[in-house]
This record gives sequence, C-alpha cells and structure tokens, in this order.
Amino acid sequence: MTDLPPPPQATGRLLDAQLHLLDRSVVDRNDVPVTTVDALEITDIELDAPIPRGAPAPVITALLSGPVLATRIFGGRPPRSRLERIRWSDVTDIGIVLKLSVDGDSLAVTWVERWMRDKIIARIPGGHHDPE
Amino acid sequence: MILNDLLGLDVFDDRGERLGKVLDARFVLGGPGRAAPAGAAAGAGAGAGAGEARLEGLIISPHSRHSYLGYERLDMNSPAIINAILGWLHRGTFYVQWDMVERVTAHELHLRTGYRRFDPRLPPTPEGEGRP
Amino acid sequence: MKNLSGFALGILTAIGAFVDIGDLVTNAVVGSRFGLGLTWALALGVAGILLFAQMSGRVAAVSGRTIFEIVRERLGPRAGLANLVGSTFINVMSLTAQVGGIALALQLASSVDYLLWVPVAAFGLWIVVWRTKFSVLENVTGLLGLTLIVFAVAVFLLGPDWGSLARQAALPAVPSGEQPATYWYYAIALFGASMTPYEVFFYSSGAIEEKWTVKDLTRSRINVLIGFPLGGLLSLSIAAGAAIVLMPQSIQVTSLSQVVLPVAAAGGKVALAFVIVGIIAAIFGAALETTLSSGYTIAQFFGWSWGKFRRPANAARFHVTMILCLIIGIAVLLTRADPVLITEYSVVFAAVALPLTYLPILIVANDRQYMGEHVNGKATNALGVGYLVIIMVAAVAAIPLMIITGAGA
Repeated sequence: MTDLPPPPQATGRLLDAQLHLLDRSVVDRNDVPVTTVDALEITDIELDAPIPRGAPAPVITALLSGPVLATRIFGGRPPRSRLERIRWSDVTDIGIVLKLSVDGDSLAVTWVERWMRDKIIARIPGGHHDPE
Repeated sequence: MILNDLLGLDVFDDRGERLGKVLDARFVLGGPGRAAPAGAAAGAGAGAGAGEARLEGLIISPHSRHSYLGYERLDMNSPAIINAILGWLHRGTFYVQWDMVERVTAHELHLRTGYRRFDPRLPPTPEGEGRP
Repeated sequence: MKNLSGFALGILTAIGAFVDIGDLVTNAVVGSRFGLGLTWALALGVAGILLFAQMSGRVAAVSGRTIFEIVRERLGPRAGLANLVGSTFINVMSLTAQVGGIALALQLASSVDYLLWVPVAAFGLWIVVWRTKFSVLENVTGLLGLTLIVFAVAVFLLGPDWGSLARQAALPAVPSGEQPATYWYYAIALFGASMTPYEVFFYSSGAIEEKWTVKDLTRSRINVLIGFPLGGLLSLSIAAGAAIVLMPQSIQVTSLSQVVLPVAAAGGKVALAFVIVGIIAAIFGAALETTLSSGYTIAQFFGWSWGKFRRPANAARFHVTMILCLIIGIAVLLTRADPVLITEYSVVFAAVALPLTYLPILIVANDRQYMGEHVNGKATNALGVGYLVIIMVAAVAAIPLMIITGAGA
C-alpha cells in the first residue's frame, strides 16, 4: 500500500494507543474485569513552547477510566480530581486485555462496583450465594 | 497530560503546510518496571510491571480520523476487500518520530524541518505474545 | 459444568431469535397475507445468523472475549456507544414485549387482569435471573419451548396442497391486494428479526457462561447447526399454518388467538394445550435472553464484571442494570402501551445496530492475535462480506420502507 521506508528498528515491543490500549478491557490478577481503558495519562508536555531536541519523550503514567469517557466522545476534559487512575506500574501484561498485578478491590476505580455491592446487592437475599 | 489531547490534532510542517491529523500514538515498551516510583512495590504481588511505555512517534493521516480497525498491522489482512477499503481510506498515512515534533499547542502540532515520513504499518508481533 | 443436552444454548438463542412474541405474531401475519412467498427472506436470515453466531462462538471460545467488548475495542467509543444505545433500546423494548406476552398468557389462563400479572411476570423473570444457574435456565426453557414443534405437526395434520405451498416458496410473488413496498418491508423485517444483535450478544456471552474453550469448537458448531435451522423451521410452520387456514378466509392476525388458530383447527384441544405451554416457555425464554443481553451489553461496554457464573455480589452493576431494565419494562407496560408495536419501531434502531455489530465480529474473527490459528477461512470471509452488504442494504432501506408502508399496515 505504501512506498515509504520502514522506521528505524524499535528497541522494544511497540504499542499503538488506539489499537492496543484504548478501549481494551482491564482485568485484575484474578482475571476479574475491572474497567475498560477510557483514556491514557502521559507525562506533561509543555504547550506552546518549543520542545528541545533530545528531551526525554513522554511516558504513560496511568490508565484512565470513568467520566473521561464522555469527554473523549463529546469533547472537553474533566477536571483532574475526577480522573480515575490505574497506575501504569500496576499493569503486568498487555495482550488482548490488560492484566493488572493487583486485586480489583484494592483500586480506586472499582468504588462504584463496591458501593453497589454493599448498598444494593447486600440488601437483597441471596446476593452472596452461588446460583443454583 | 491526557493522551487524547494529542490525538486528532492538526499537524503542520515547518512551512505551515497542513499534513493531516494525528491518528494514533506509538509507544515502545522498554525495560521491566524502570519507571516505578517508590510506592509501587507495595502489594504488587507476582510479576514485574510491563515496563516503561515511552512515546516513540505519531501516526498522521491526511484523510481519515477514523480507526484503522486493526489493519495497520502487517499480519492483519483479511477479508481482502475490507483490507483494501481501509488501505484506500488511509492512503497517504505516515509515521513520524516524536523527536521530529517541534511544538504542541491546544489545537495544533508542528513538525521540525527535515522530518522524515515512514511506513506506519506495524510489523507482526513475535509468536506467543499477546495470547491469553 | 457441561449441560445434559449439549446444544441447549443454541436452542435457547434460537427461541429468542425466531419465536419470541414479536416473531410469533409477525410470522402469522406474513403467512396470512403473503403465504409462503417470503420463505427466502427467512432462509437468508437463518443462514446469516448461523454464520455469525458460529463466528461469535468461536471468538468467545478461543479468545475469551465477548461481542460487545469487541465492538467497543474495534470501532472505538463513539461507534460503540451508538451501537450500545441502539441495542439497549432493542433489548429493553423486546424484554418489555416478552413480559407483556407472559402477562397476556397468564391472563388467558386465569382471567385475572393483565396489568396485575405484569409485575408478577417481571418478578418471576428476575428470580430466575438472580438465582438460577445458567445451565438450568437454558435446559428447561429450551426443552419446553421445543413443544412448539406442534406448529409443524399441525401443518401436516391439515393436509395442505404441498405443491401449492412449494410453489409459493420457490416462486415468490406479491399477492393481489398487497403492495410491493409492503412485501419488501416484511422481507426486511423477517431478515432483521432473524439477525437481531441480541442473539449474538447472548450466544457469545453464553459461551463464556458455559466456559467454552478451544476444545468446544465442535460443540459450538453443533449448537448453531441444530438451534437456528430448528428455529427457522418453527417460524416457517407458523407462517405455513397461517397460509393454510387464515389466508383463504382473509382472517387478520391481531393477537395470539389467530396465531394458534391453525393448531386448534388441526389438532383440537390437545394440540392447543401443547402450543400454549410452548408459547409460554418460548416467550419466557426470549424474556430471559433479552434481560440477560441487556445486562451483558452494558456491562461489557464499560468493562464491568458480569455473568451468571459469578455470585451477584461479584457482579453488582450487572445485576443492578438488569433490575433497572425490568423496572423500566414494568413501567412501560403499566402505561398500557402496546409493546409489540414498540418492537416494530425498534427496526429503526436495528438499522444502526446491525452493521455496527456484525462488522467487528467479522474483523476480529480474522485477527490472529485473538484467534491464533482459528481465523476465518476464505469461504467464511466471502459469505461474511456478502452478508455485510445485504445487512447494509437492508439497514438503508428499512426506515424509508417503514415510513412508506406505515410499518406494514
């Protein structure tokens, strides 16, 4: 399709954000779903200022989830305090899904699930039993 | 910074000519757990993190803001007709190294003089990587 | 955890696909007005869902991922959300129609007012979703729903002119008194009903509920090869019965009573008893399928934990979502809205949801990162692309035809 030359050989595995990371499912270390990747947080780039040559490139610092999905679809951005983060250092495997090295319950992003479990499901009989 | 602020930006070369929009961002994984700050080890369980994900370059498309649907991988090419349609939709798409980005603003991204265009397609991943 | 009849998932999926309350009525309407002249549309739909359900089952078994996760991952959040909105509307309105259908059947059996049965039916549905194991759910409703075979038996008992029926099917023509636009509207309606997205959402999630792996690929094939043609046959029998009994006398189909008339005519009270059991089981099965699909699609889009294989406490948002959908269903029915009518208008949403569902399935079934060596062969791809073209044509034509014909009036 293209007659452009291939880029210089990469020093590690290549990941494209839209292709490999965004909108992928995130599971915890027990393979329980946690969330979907709605956005990615990277180290800051100074806007409107020339980037010095040889300056270190930005790195991914966290997976983002939650209200940021609405802004991704419709535009804008949520305030920093409303971002729900999963630290990049907690990501242990990147395949069809992103696997974390921690338990879902220990993460801030699962607070809605835990809230629903404690406030609603726990109030209905049978919620803690296996189906029969 | 949220990565999505980079995606979709209009891209200009050093003479102010519009080249297209940022379609995707390519990261390279390097070294296990190098970026992990002090607190990351706590509760990290088995397995090192995936490693630092550093921004290597951007994929720029003159025509299409839409997803490549996975066909930007060299090992993804069936059904043939869908592959052909997407190839046509993304004609003229190229990859540029992050080094070659001179300046980022809220709406625009400017490249340095002498930037080079590369083939945007991803080489196949080694066997066994990415399988559940 | 393998169930007794290894193809119950295919049968239950097909029940929701071909003999839910909307289909029961539509097939009888089609038979009474067009005879068997739309058999080709039904056959096309059966082949289509067979192809894509098999692909979905294979993708789920090999990669462990379900359809809605794939829709969002491949198409991105905007298109994924568009599909989610359309599919959720279809799911919830279908669910509402089924609950209404169960309430109607209970009213017939008891002469207690329909509106009082609505919350009872919804509650009964919820109890099953809350507590019953997936395998029990599929086996019981699947097997009971099979009593609808009595429709096919009735066709034989009626001793029709087989040559004439065969001619109607093989050489379709628009009968005098009907417009071509209406004929094509029903063709699209039958085709679309056969391939409603919630069928593949349910089938692929069901594959995960049953914990299928690569070893179960043959089981998946058996499920689709038995379930969907059987479902299509049941639909055809309903249309044939209507063609034989209702069409010559120009009897209009306005409710379930006309739908079962051919069975009563053929086999009297005994046959009627069988068919009523079958209809209640089939509608209940379809209600389960649409309720679970409502939960599956929303949970999978947002990445929540889901599944009947988990305790409700471990899939809290999934269960809360389904409870909310049932409550919406009850609310809609309590306004005395006709849910079957609403499902006809959901054709609009199907026009959006169908292409956005089947395109990602076809693409991911070719993705070696998901499928390893189990990617599509060339023949499957050719058929898949062909069906995508048909689906897009149908999607474009559906809304204008619905407006022109007044939804098939």
